[in-house]
Amino acid sequence: MNYPVWDLSVGAGLLIAIVAILHVFVSHFAVGSGLFLVVTERKARRDNDPALLGWVKKHTKFFVLVSVVFGAISGVGIWFTIGLISPQATSNLIHIYVWGWAIEWVFFFLEITAGLLYLYGWDKLEPKLHMWFGWVYFWNAWLSLVVINGIITFMLTSGNWGKDQQFWTGFFNPTYFPSLLFRTAIALALAGVYALITASVLKDTALKARIVRWAAAWTIPALIVLPAIGWWYIKRIPADIWANARGPMPTATTYAGLAVLLIGAALLLALVTVLMPKRMNLAVSLLLLLISLGAMGSFEMVRESLRKPYVISNYLYSNSLYSATLPGDGGFSEDEVSANGALKSAHWVVNKEITPANELDAGHEVFRVECQSCHTQNAYRGIRKLIAQRQWDEAKIEAMTGGLNFMHNGVMPAFAGTDQERVALAKYLSSLEPITTEATNASVDGATVFARNCAMCHQVTPADPLFTNLVRDPAAAADALQSLPALFPVMPDLKLTAQQRAAVVQWINAQRGPGGPAYSAQAANTEGAK
Amino acid sequence: MMSTNMVPILDLNPLPAPYWVFKVLLLVTFFLHLLAMNAMLGGAVLAVMAHFTGKDRTHGNRVFLDVAKKIPSLLPATVTLGIAPLLFLQVIYGQFFYTSSVIMAWPWFSVLVMLTIAYYGFYYVSYRGGKDPGRAGWVMLVSTLLVTFIGFIYSNNMTLSMDPNHWAAKYFAHPNGLNLNLSEPTLFPRYLHFFVAAIAVGGLLLVFMALANWKRDNDYARRLLYFGGKTFTFATMAQFVVGILFLMALPREMIMLFMGGSPLASGLMLFSIVASGIAIMVMSKAVRTGNIKVAAVQVPAIIAIVIAAMVVMRDILRDAYLKPYFHPEQFTVKTQWTVLPLFLLLFVAGVVLWIVMMRRFFKAKSVSAS
Ligand code: HEC
Ligand code: HEC
Repeated sequence: MNYPVWDLSVGAGLLIAIVAILHVFVSHFAVGSGLFLVVTERKARRDNDPALLGWVKKHTKFFVLVSVVFGAISGVGIWFTIGLISPQATSNLIHIYVWGWAIEWVFFFLEITAGLLYLYGWDKLEPKLHMWFGWVYFWNAWLSLVVINGIITFMLTSGNWGKDQQFWTGFFNPTYFPSLLFRTAIALALAGVYALITASVLKDTALKARIVRWAAAWTIPALIVLPAIGWWYIKRIPADIWANARGPMPTATTYAGLAVLLIGAALLLALVTVLMPKRMNLAVSLLLLLISLGAMGSFEMVRESLRKPYVISNYLYSNSLYSATLPGDGGFSEDEVSANGALKSAHWVVNKEITPANELDAGHEVFRVECQSCHTQNAYRGIRKLIAQRQWDEAKIEAMTGGLNFMHNGVMPAFAGTDQERVALAKYLSSLEPITTEATNASVDGATVFARNCAMCHQVTPADPLFTNLVRDPAAAADALQSLPALFPVMPDLKLTAQQRAAVVQWINAQRGPGGPAYSAQAANTEGAK
Repeated sequence: MMSTNMVPILDLNPLPAPYWVFKVLLLVTFFLHLLAMNAMLGGAVLAVMAHFTGKDRTHGNRVFLDVAKKIPSLLPATVTLGIAPLLFLQVIYGQFFYTSSVIMAWPWFSVLVMLTIAYYGFYYVSYRGGKDPGRAGWVMLVSTLLVTFIGFIYSNNMTLSMDPNHWAAKYFAHPNGLNLNLSEPTLFPRYLHFFVAAIAVGGLLLVFMALANWKRDNDYARRLLYFGGKTFTFATMAQFVVGILFLMALPREMIMLFMGGSPLASGLMLFSIVASGIAIMVMSKAVRTGNIKVAAVQVPAIIAIVIAAMVVMRDILRDAYLKPYFHPEQFTVKTQWTVLPLFLLLFVAGVVLWIVMMRRFFKAKSVSAS
């Protein structure tokens, strides 16, 4: 709201995910390969193995073309992209961590210089000096990870930073060390994976076999320890954040599962290559590369979804509103915007006042400033499709937008703004996918009614308050569902038909089976009075 | 809507060092970035010219390849030296820079794509140019056009970031980020000013290459000196015209700054004009007499100082544009004493290590290829 919102139809989240995943996939390779190259060079020289040495030289060229070129540009790319998509968060991070970035830049500059000189030095330098450049490269590359890791992990687990706002408090946050170890292991694994690419095209099969086994010695141990480090990592994530990760939609736990699966697949494939090193070919190496990309991407998505609804944990939401009112926040906190109105607070909207004539446009602007950091109309996390799936008419959208922060374990910030703005937002969203009230009321199958009206906030588990607290007597329960806010004040006021209420109660009762505490009509009365 | 209301508020986190620290770092690192960028862009343009013009094809191709081989080092230098000013710019001018970037989001984002393509193109030319100079010429042309265009997009963003008055109209017309700043009267002269400067520095790059070849292949080196020196003189002469166009395109009160309104700005401009004039004369004479020492040492030294002066003038101009919106005294400052010294220490250590690397590399006697 302080900054304009880039109206990106493909989805802000998607763009940043693509740029970020490509970058980390290359930059971790850049770190790991630094070590891989010098150690392999040393081995080749010690074993007096000119064939291997020749390959290391060729691999250096490949390494520079991938890491120094694409790694550096995609790194700048992340800067560009987060600045375009989350300018407020970028500004916050820059102000808190500019000296961290400045230090990282020193390492980065040395890293790039040493990397190029290592490449150019193959034909020029005597072995010892050449390897010295390799070591300078590696240490600087790793140190730039050491620095940037503090800033990245800060965004997920800011730890006690909120209390003292000290650089190092946020830097050495709870996930700093597990993440550093995790990323270092990934770097080593990727060094081996990328090595297979240039090895796979070698004609000398004996040499190829030697390299494949050598590369596997980097990849396999790293892959084996990764899940253990990952487990430590998760343990260091505050319980409430991790709890949010569970649930039906594609969440952190889903991606974590996927990451483990892909790591397993990579491990399997790596083992196969060791068993048949001579049969290694380009297709296999590319497949392994793709699997690794998937694993790396899943890991990044775990972080991404864990962080929601925040960009900076417990500080700034994805839609650039501060979660608490802070001195100097310019009125851009959730509470202030709720009190003053989103359109009045935002700098970058045309419609400051809602009238019947501009209601739709105003609703669109509310959507842009509050929701578009995570949603699109039709593409990535498209709101039109979500509405179509749920068959929500305008009234239901309006009711539901009052409880966004309860959906899917709190992936979204609450709607911030006036009721009038929420009505306008509902009108706009409904215009994307107009659903009639008849259509909304047409579903009479209990499971469907539940899925379209309750599942976003309630999970089908015995422990969910819905299942523990709804009275079991079908008539009383159906009666109680006439007003959800009366059942529990924050619930949206959904107008289910009598038929729908009866059906959903029947379905709910079928899920939990007979018996249990809230079975009597008397309990229904106490519950209803709550 | 009042446009001043649209300027984002200052970040609520304090500056982690006094304002002037960031300003100095911004200007110093931007100066270094400009040196590398000018050499890269100018070198690339001259390589293309060497390839497509001139009658002596063998000589033209040789110059083309020799210059083209330098680009894969100059481009990463440009990028890495560009990161630092981009960082410090965001610390003090973030409100303006992020906003203009979002308004022209797609062109800004496309810089990344163009840069990647251009970069691989330059590598292709440098690795394969010898085998197929014909195709390499075209690849070089495309890559050079791309980096030329990237410069143009930067000029768009920088001018837009200084002009909050025009933000609203552009943003609300195309919130999808398909904007440029073409309506800005100074855009083209300003861009041309930078572009022509790059050509001049590209000429100096050739003079350096002449110096490197002076003993080994004097005939070739003299031709490089001639080409580079001439390019430098003509480009710098053209700069007088372009510079006046740029100055005239500025709003009146900004013109006055350079006409005595600001003693510093006026003094720097006068100095730059005189110094450039001297550089032209010195270079012409050096080219005529074949005095490589003068051409490769004195002229670049003068020009480096002129570029530094340009960086300061550009900054004065920016702050004049932003005067109604930008009040550095409003920054709250809370110096991070536990980090800043560490940065300074590592920075100095980094410079030392960098110099050591360079010395070790260039002093090493070539060993035979293994
Ligand atoms: C922090 C990011 C974020 C923001 C901001 C956000 N959402 Fe969401 N929203 C999500 C995610 C993640 C989901 C789950 C999507 C899925 O299952 O694909 C979701 C789901 C939804 C759903 C579907 C719920 C369901 O399962 O039926 C609706 C409707 C919705 N959001 C509306 C909004 C509106 C309106 C706004 C703005 C006021 C908003 N969201 C802001 C992240 C966000
Ligand atoms: C927008 C989110 C949202 C939706 C949609 C929603 N609920 Fe709830 N519901 C809540 C919240 C939040 C609570 C309180 C949970 C808690 O106590 O932890 C709650 C509590 C309940 C309870 C327990 C009340 C008590 O006495 O403690 C019942 C029963 C319930 N919901 C039923 C439903 C049914 C049935 C639907 C679908 C028709 C539904 N809810 C839809 C958010 C929602």
